[in-house]
Amino acid sequence: MKYFIKVVLAESYKQHRNYFNNKMIYVSLFLWPLLSFLASYYSYKAFDLEESAISYINSGNILVFLLIGYMAMSFFRSVVQSAWRFSSERQSGTLEYIYLSPASRLAVLMGNALSSVFESSVVMLVFGILMIFYNRESLHANVVGLVVVMPIYVIMALLWGVFINACFLYSRDTDFLFTILEEPMEIFSGVKVPVMIFPGWAKLLSCIFPLTYALEALRQVTLNNSDLGTIKITVLISILIIVVLLAATLITIHIVEKHVRKTGNIILF
Amino acid sequence: MIEIKNLQKVYDVKRRQSFFHMTREKVVAVKDISMRIDKGQIVGLLGINGAGKTTTIKMLTTLIEPTNGTYSFDGIDAIANPDLVKRQINMIAGGERMIYWRLTAYENLWYYGQLYGIDNTLLKKRIEKLLQIVGLEDKADLPVETYSKGMKQRLQIARGLINDPKYIFLDEPTIGLDAVVTQDLHKEIRSLAKDQGKGILLTSHYLSEVEELCDYIYLVNKGELVIEGTKKELTDYVFARNRYVFSVRGMDKKIVCRLRDNLRMIDPESEVLFEDGSCTIISKAELSSAIAEFALKEKLVINELHKQEPSLEQAVIKLSKNLERKDTQIA
Repeated sequence: MKYFIKVVLAESYKQHRNYFNNKMIYVSLFLWPLLSFLASYYSYKAFDLEESAISYINSGNILVFLLIGYMAMSFFRSVVQSAWRFSSERQSGTLEYIYLSPASRLAVLMGNALSSVFESSVVMLVFGILMIFYNRESLHANVVGLVVVMPIYVIMALLWGVFINACFLYSRDTDFLFTILEEPMEIFSGVKVPVMIFPGWAKLLSCIFPLTYALEALRQVTLNNSDLGTIKITVLISILIIVVLLAATLITIHIVEKHVRKTGNIILF
Repeated sequence: MIEIKNLQKVYDVKRRQSFFHMTREKVVAVKDISMRIDKGQIVGLLGINGAGKTTTIKMLTTLIEPTNGTYSFDGIDAIANPDLVKRQINMIAGGERMIYWRLTAYENLWYYGQLYGIDNTLLKKRIEKLLQIVGLEDKADLPVETYSKGMKQRLQIARGLINDPKYIFLDEPTIGLDAVVTQDLHKEIRSLAKDQGKGILLTSHYLSEVEELCDYIYLVNKGELVIEGTKKELTDYVFARNRYVFSVRGMDKKIVCRLRDNLRMIDPESEVLFEDGSCTIISKAELSSAIAEFALKEKLVINELHKQEPSLEQAVIKLSKNLERKDTQIA
């Protein structure tokens, strides 16, 4: 376990030094979600939210509703981006040396996701927390629920990142996953619009993104004062997703290693 | 000891025939290679015509799984247990890739050290020692992107030693380096084998490097072993005849003719070639004393007389030409 943690921390540090040298990157990573958030917020201004079909959305808390969506989204988006960035290890030849070492592949991928989750979303997180604090009167939070939901959501984001990282390692041609997973995740997970009002086919698509469940649980406990009893189905599904993601990641890592040893594609870029 | 027997690697390669149609074909990268690396020994792997050197090294480092054959690593079945092998090996490749340019040398070594789970106190000491060995201790805290090619290559050497491996695989380690840096690296490689008892496999395009460093050489062609042996055994095998260089003051065609007649009495198949005022004599027989006696008898002043030892380079070029000729005849 000590060895595993060493590798996770070393990988996180390496990625931090590799990609977050220039402080401007934090600004750029914040700017785009911020603009997108503002666009969504002012789009809602055109509608009468008091007549909203969603019980817990009103004109008073729409800002917090969207902020939670964008904060969570920045977590999940950052891990997908981290996986995409990790594929550059193949080009620089360093992936070969990672595979040459006996280090746990899960620990390496986790370290990469961990670094990205916190570094890519830290400014958005701070901004969101400050804005929510400023609008705290619109919160209707269940503290116990929040304490339970938060770690579940962070673990889920991390494992989603590790899983996507593992998929990206399969071959140099997996970049298409980035296109498939990034934008659709924002659209179908209910970041801007609640999943509840989606048509059936879109609801079906939203089911495949863990972010959907994380957002639903987070919004329920922060805006609707929902206790654990009310959101138990969402929490159980989230825990199930965590277990499935972990298993899928371990299997993918095994398949990837077997595949690269068979095809030798670790040296192709 | 590392011992591979009849190692083979066949790739299943997809070939696009049209947008919707793909066919698969088998590509044999390594047909049949057997070799052995002992501790404290530097073994050279030379190749001709896409020989499969890199695939062989990747199989030895467990990065690629062989299709057939056996691989024994200090008695461990390395194909079935690659994780047991990884701790005890490392690879050093030439070029500027494979290190993190934005990180400092210290950070690079620290990162790779963590991948091997090395205790932090021991790792710190080892990094300092390695940086000293490769002469980068003063630049340890500078980003690698500010390094020269030679410095990056020296860092690669330090990285390859971070886990104190028993066996090291050197894949073109001096490619693109200047003569001074290359000499330093040669010294280091020799010391790793002779002083520290590490087993080393070296591939290089520079035959003089292999000649200088390797105790034993394997020559592969198109995935198959062509010949193996020490440098002497290889050159003796390829150059079955001796070569002498002989020149005297005032050498002319008449002297050469008399020399030829004289030597043909000993070896009728001997050849005497005259060019630029000097003779090259090729013969199966030992002719040193006969040539010297000829000069004395003729009262000639000798400028030069020595037996020419063929270089490994000459041997490989000759062997390569022979193989090409053989291939053409078969075709």
